[in-house]
Amino acid sequence: MKLTAQQIDQLFTFTRQHYVEWYDLQSELVDHLANAIESQWLENPKLTFDEALNAEFKKFGVFGFMDVVEKRQAVLDKKYNGLVWHHFKDFFGIPKIVLTLAMTFVLFTVIKLSDFKEWIFMGLFVALVVFSFYAMISNKKQRKKISKANQKKWLFEEIINHYGNLSVIATVPFNIMLQLLNNVPDLFTNNYWTVGMSFFLVLLSIAVFIIFKIIPRRTSEYLETTYPEYKLVNL
Amino acid sequence: MKNSQLYKGSLNTIIMKLLEENGKMYGYEITQKVKAITQGELNITEGALYPALHKLEAEGILDVEIEKVDNRMRKYYKLTEAGTKETVNRLAELEDFIRNMQSLVNPRPNLEF
Repeated sequence: MKLTAQQIDQLFTFTRQHYVEWYDLQSELVDHLANAIESQWLENPKLTFDEALNAEFKKFGVFGFMDVVEKRQAVLDKKYNGLVWHHFKDFFGIPKIVLTLAMTFVLFTVIKLSDFKEWIFMGLFVALVVFSFYAMISNKKQRKKISKANQKKWLFEEIINHYGNLSVIATVPFNIMLQLLNNVPDLFTNNYWTVGMSFFLVLLSIAVFIIFKIIPRRTSEYLETTYPEYKLVNL
Repeated sequence: MKNSQLYKGSLNTIIMKLLEENGKMYGYEITQKVKAITQGELNITEGALYPALHKLEAEGILDVEIEKVDNRMRKYYKLTEAGTKETVNRLAELEDFIRNMQSLVNPRPNLEF
């Protein structure tokens, strides 16, 4: 006996009720449960759908689907970090490294020649933080609109939209900066410090640019490579 | 899984070996196959199987394929080229392990004395 389309829908609801919000995991678990229920029916055709389902669900252990979800999330988090790192390395390969070094050099020269060293540096730095927050907020607004229209959620999409664990990049360097400003008096008069700080700001800009601009823009491309079913569902 | 501590370290190798023999398989099929081969002695738990599959996929050892079967989607796993090579290594490693354990647990009588 095969499961009906309605029973398949019931299984999707069941996974949602057990805290599996993402379609990619739901569909795999639904197929698993469906197979298991069908083979239970082969042995004992009198079992009801609910009885068979409960027996199968018990096999997942006391935490239900939580283990599967958590481990999947950890794997995709790692994949996301790898993606960011991959883009980041791009800026140190030819020809982009020329751009990276040129930006550092320009920043260094401007700070060195100007009378408003700290102001220029902090101004740029604050602009970067403001940009990060702006990107986060506008992305959130946009997603709210879309999520109402489309109910299927993909775990990797969520990780991209939450920037993995990397959204701290907008706030953590700020604390480092304050520490440096308070404790290093010749931060912008010593050449070595100035080069270091210029390079740091360029690196931070690259990271912010990748996390808040480059990757979100290519979200659907990454989802298609992560999930072969993504195209199938979104036809 | 029965005696889970002992089997845990070999789960990935078991999966890879099965895929090497059968081409592509889906999660439920793997659990059933293991059960059949070991005549019900070894039961891979669902809570361990899927995390292992997802991890192997992320490591580039497995690739996935989706097919529409009945009225649902089925996710098949298969070895990538790198995965096929890695399977050979892991199987050799596992065989060494089995051999060593065997000589430890069941030492052959020493004839030198």
